[in-house]
Amino acid sequence: MKNLFQVNKIASKAIKIKQNNALFLPDFCSFPIVLSVVIIAELLAFILTLAPLSIAQQGWNDLALTSLFIQWNALMCSSTLCLLRPLIKYRSPQFIAISSYLSILLTFTLLSEITFYVINEYKITRIIETSTHWEFLVHNLLIGGIISALALRYFYIQHQWRIRIETESATRLQLLQARIRPHFLFNSLNSIASLTQTRPDIAERITEDLADLFRMIIREDKTLIHWSREKELSEHYIDIEKQRLGTRLNIQWHTDNIPHKALVPALLLQPLLENAIFHGIEPVIHGGHITVTGELIRHHLHIEIQNSNSKNLVHRQGNQIALKNIKERLHSHFSENASIHFWEQENNYYVKIILPYKEHTES
Amino acid sequence: MKILIVDDEPLAVERLKFLVKDINPNYQLIEAHNGIEAVEQAIKIEPDIILMDIRMPGMDGLEAAHHLLKFDKQAAIIFTTAYDEYALQAFDAHAVDYLLKPIRKERLEKALESCSQLNKLQLEQVSLQNIALKNSDIQNKQVTYRTHISVQLPNNLFLIAIENIHSFLADNKYITVKYNKNGVLAETIIEDTLKSLEQEFQHSFIRIHRNALIQKNKIEALHKMDDGRVLLILKDFSDSYEVSRRHLAHVRKLMKS
Repeated sequence: MKNLFQVNKIASKAIKIKQNNALFLPDFCSFPIVLSVVIIAELLAFILTLAPLSIAQQGWNDLALTSLFIQWNALMCSSTLCLLRPLIKYRSPQFIAISSYLSILLTFTLLSEITFYVINEYKITRIIETSTHWEFLVHNLLIGGIISALALRYFYIQHQWRIRIETESATRLQLLQARIRPHFLFNSLNSIASLTQTRPDIAERITEDLADLFRMIIREDKTLIHWSREKELSEHYIDIEKQRLGTRLNIQWHTDNIPHKALVPALLLQPLLENAIFHGIEPVIHGGHITVTGELIRHHLHIEIQNSNSKNLVHRQGNQIALKNIKERLHSHFSENASIHFWEQENNYYVKIILPYKEHTES
Repeated sequence: MKILIVDDEPLAVERLKFLVKDINPNYQLIEAHNGIEAVEQAIKIEPDIILMDIRMPGMDGLEAAHHLLKFDKQAAIIFTTAYDEYALQAFDAHAVDYLLKPIRKERLEKALESCSQLNKLQLEQVSLQNIALKNSDIQNKQVTYRTHISVQLPNNLFLIAIENIHSFLADNKYITVKYNKNGVLAETIIEDTLKSLEQEFQHSFIRIHRNALIQKNKIEALHKMDDGRVLLILKDFSDSYEVSRRHLAHVRKLMKS
């Protein structure tokens, strides 16, 4: 699966997602984030109050004061980050991490200074009595520094996790589209809609073919199946397309030499046949022909698909995704022992797959 | 009302016919199976509405619509397609509507209704709106070129397949097109610029002179005259064109490859 990631289009899409999301900081102006900041701050206040083993009667008073101080700090930090966000939006994650962390520490310092000044001036509480100015500042900075580093780390990981989910689903969708052209699905549905009026029996058969094919297409794990089954699936596919294209689609199978029990990756042929139709048959008014040849030579299956090519240059481009996809699937099943080749000769397009002959799955 | 149905797939045509007949049995239906036939039929029978598929062999629906824009008796074009990647391009081609297959009867009925209410003036307005839409469309479009060029005549329009064209020769504001018309070297005049033609058909045509573009695979031989000028001889009719000094190296390189 990870190899498939190399498919160009998908990779570029994934990169795009990453680029848009270097900014791992959540929006600190939004309500859910402010709420989570408040909760984190309050939990910290609880921990700090509970930490000294001897909780005096002053416990609740301490909690209230600590909460007040910490909440104040936390909310000021949130607003700083909220203001900072548009300024660092397009920077690298490192830059974002360092600048936001520094600004948080700066906020703590400022707030600590103000608090110390206010408390000293008005002699509000006895907390400060026991500590000097520097002790108070260093103490606050250490606690605040550690907690905010943890919080930033938490936001970073959460963000990474979300990106991964997004990328994965985008990749999966793209892979599905690489495996089957949406045109094929909608055109087939159109054929069925047409056939239900006039020839319901054929409509029924095409629906069954389509179901069989899609069951295999959306299956995540592409196992090895018997050649006879693979050929059957391919024939279902051709059957559907034949309804649509009529006499323009001509196909010949010369594959009797391949043993029925030979194992091949499921849906090895369908994408190649789809390419052949898309590039060689559909763009030509009088259609064309496809020939599938199969041989068993020295314990290897040689499968060749040949199709007449259209003269239209536009239709010759962009069929690389299916080939790449098959290449990677062959590689994952047979590593270096299988290969795929393609070439053009006298207005015909050829794809040849060579894979080792196997009869039973090992697992 | 005359409706031209254009689709290369027999089943798609069948379904559209069925739906239209169901909506109104009095509509007159004509079918065509690719862009070329669509243009020919549209000129012959002058339909009020054209229901046209986009992906078709020979010439696609978008190109056919562009050719038909030049025709005086403009029909309302409704594109039908299985997948909506062409929506923007369809509006470039001044489509009145855009239907996705399998088409719902109610949706088709609505589209036909709105088309039949449009008169020529309104049709032109739709086109104008769509031109505005086209100009605002800054998306990268896939590089495409025509498979045919259309020649506009009073009350008529005809197509010449690019592969039959020997040369484009610039002459003031017009371009003379020399082409193989059923085995005879014919010529006609179109309005275009050599520069844009060169750009569009760079894969199959080569500039050999300030005023001449030649189909690459029609080139037979180079012939040097006594006075030092070089002529390019083409296949089929042995028609010849002068190669300018500036383009000679270019032409030689092509002939070697």
